[in-house]
Amino acid sequence: MEIKTRQFKAVARQELNNPNSRIFLDLLPVVLSSLRQLAMASFPDPEAAQRLGGIIRAEALSRLPELLEQFEKNALKAGAKVFWAGDAHAANAYILELARNNQVDFVTKGKSMVTEEMGINEVLEKNGIEVYETDLGEFIAQLLKRPPFHIVGPAANVPPPEIRDIFIEKGIMENPTVDPRELGYAARLYLRDRFSRMKMGITGINFAVAETGTIINVENEGNIRFNKSSPKIQVSVMTLEKVIPNLKDAMHMLRLVSRNCTGQHIGAYASMDTGPRKKDEMDGPDELHIIILDNGRTRLYQNVKTRQALQCIRCGGCLNICPVFGIIGGFPYGWVYSGPMGQLLTPLLLGLSGCHDHIWACTGCGACKANCPAGIDHPRVLHYLREMEVQGEKSLDAVPPPFTEDMAYKAFSVIASNPTLWKLTSKIIRTVLNRNAQDGKLSKGPGPLETWLAGRDFPQMGDKTFHERWKEIENNPPKAVLEN
Amino acid sequence: MEGTRDAILRQLRMARSMEVPKRIQLPPPYEAAMTREEWIEKFAAKLGEQTGVFYRTADTTGVLEILSNLVRQEGLKNVIASEDGLITALNLKLWGADQGVSVSFPHDFKDRKDYQDTVFNHADAGMTAADFAVAESGTLAIIHDKSNARLLSLAPALHIAVVEAKNVVPVYESVMESVFLNGQSPSQLCFITGPSMTADIQGQMFKGMHGPRKLIVIMVG
Repeated sequence: MEIKTRQFKAVARQELNNPNSRIFLDLLPVVLSSLRQLAMASFPDPEAAQRLGGIIRAEALSRLPELLEQFEKNALKAGAKVFWAGDAHAANAYILELARNNQVDFVTKGKSMVTEEMGINEVLEKNGIEVYETDLGEFIAQLLKRPPFHIVGPAANVPPPEIRDIFIEKGIMENPTVDPRELGYAARLYLRDRFSRMKMGITGINFAVAETGTIINVENEGNIRFNKSSPKIQVSVMTLEKVIPNLKDAMHMLRLVSRNCTGQHIGAYASMDTGPRKKDEMDGPDELHIIILDNGRTRLYQNVKTRQALQCIRCGGCLNICPVFGIIGGFPYGWVYSGPMGQLLTPLLLGLSGCHDHIWACTGCGACKANCPAGIDHPRVLHYLREMEVQGEKSLDAVPPPFTEDMAYKAFSVIASNPTLWKLTSKIIRTVLNRNAQDGKLSKGPGPLETWLAGRDFPQMGDKTFHERWKEIENNPPKAVLEN
Repeated sequence: MEGTRDAILRQLRMARSMEVPKRIQLPPPYEAAMTREEWIEKFAAKLGEQTGVFYRTADTTGVLEILSNLVRQEGLKNVIASEDGLITALNLKLWGADQGVSVSFPHDFKDRKDYQDTVFNHADAGMTAADFAVAESGTLAIIHDKSNARLLSLAPALHIAVVEAKNVVPVYESVMESVFLNGQSPSQLCFITGPSMTADIQGQMFKGMHGPRKLIVIMVG
């Protein structure tokens, strides 16, 4: 997938004027938040239930190497094949070879963020293997060659006429319609044909259970289940942090992921595979390949300040509540992961240098943290990343701010620590700034203030400084004060 | 040379360890204080929220009566049924002959291709047993094994599931405790809650995306 993280602001500006995105984004906080609240209320103690989610995820991370080994051992024992991939390239090469060795001419996919991170579609297509995304939203996004707009609703901002046009153009349906149900039905028939004769299905993994070697997928449409039932070869990809200690914990996380994502108590389907089909079983894969992908995560894991980003379970709950995402939508983030979780994962996986805006596009309101069922403190990590950027931390690929900014702050610190200089400068500066005042507001300013004021107004500065006014009051106390 | 696996595990082990957070105890779920009849009530209500249809009957005769009504209501011509004991006990082929419905079982087919062709393209309904019914969310749990093929509850437009009242359980954990015993795990365990659905076009929800458009549960006992 093409990385466009550097165009964050430019795309955000475009998206502000995209009426199709607006309809969806304006509904997000109202509808999904209330659904989430209702669903969480089914726990006798919702707050404790959420806290336990964070504890389970933090424990899984602190025991990560041990749990991964246990998961691998049990998955192998059940007959699955496990492949460890250091990076996306290795994972893609493994899948491509598997497809070639089995004369696979097309694959179908269940929605998975990790395979988008890997860019597997491009690799397979370049090698003459057709790829069908089978989640309805992902299918539409793929046809339109668009990145996912929202982790759960990848094409939620595409208006039905546009879907109708692309479906007609690609021969997916014959009779034009804009009815979502009929559009869905056309996609159903089209993909069903692929489901019935596919050799290889690719899915992601929601939870990998160490205790049993079981992989769990949660979904609503049934497309992932087809990918796990119909073909002879099933490839399921997980990043290494997906592992979880036991089935009991998995059940708790299953409740949390559904409630926080769509406000459901559970997705329509939760399928849990332990190994491939057994000999006398009628369907299911002959071969189950589980790919455990690193792609930068062991590096991320080294830093205890950023490690918690790996606790994420990709429910998308933080997107639904984030005031920034609610304005700009998913496109500006420029890669696979959007919203608060993307603001952590993208800079940490790709490096801070191309993701400057990701770490600053946060108001620090903490709604994400308050809603996170995996116990992540997003604002805290972002704050840390800002600090690291200013310090030009090499291990995070940070590019420090320009020399001039550094000089400006140094100058400020000299002035601010000398009373005479402070008084003098604050006297001068208000005269300079007030030159641009209009209706008691400052909307323009010299030098770097130009950009700072581009997005906000500042009240016109008083003619006298605080110190000057204080002196006046001291010399000539107002009567009202004396009378009291 | 060190392989990828060992390199990953070594680097993870090298990293500074962090304290394992202390577990907290959650209050018991509401279902813990309910009777079996209340579980059944909750199961039916939750299933209904997802447009699932619930029937309850005393015995196999009752199941066949309900099925006969469904044949007329839904216009069923072709049914593919699982080989679970609960289903085979119904003697469906005999019933089908009487009702003018063609009934097949996965192992009737000479190979997987034929079976898949029927389940995808010819069956109006897939009929399966469910191993458990979970009260907390109106969820069916099906263990997929040699007598319970996966596609039966997925490919046909209608899924009819038969479940025994004695197998209604309060929460998901009850299923896990019964299914994953002594290190034995089924190749697939599936939780089904209502028909297949989507809301991917403009957030408009509808049932029957890729899987069944309708789910009917018949509880026996």
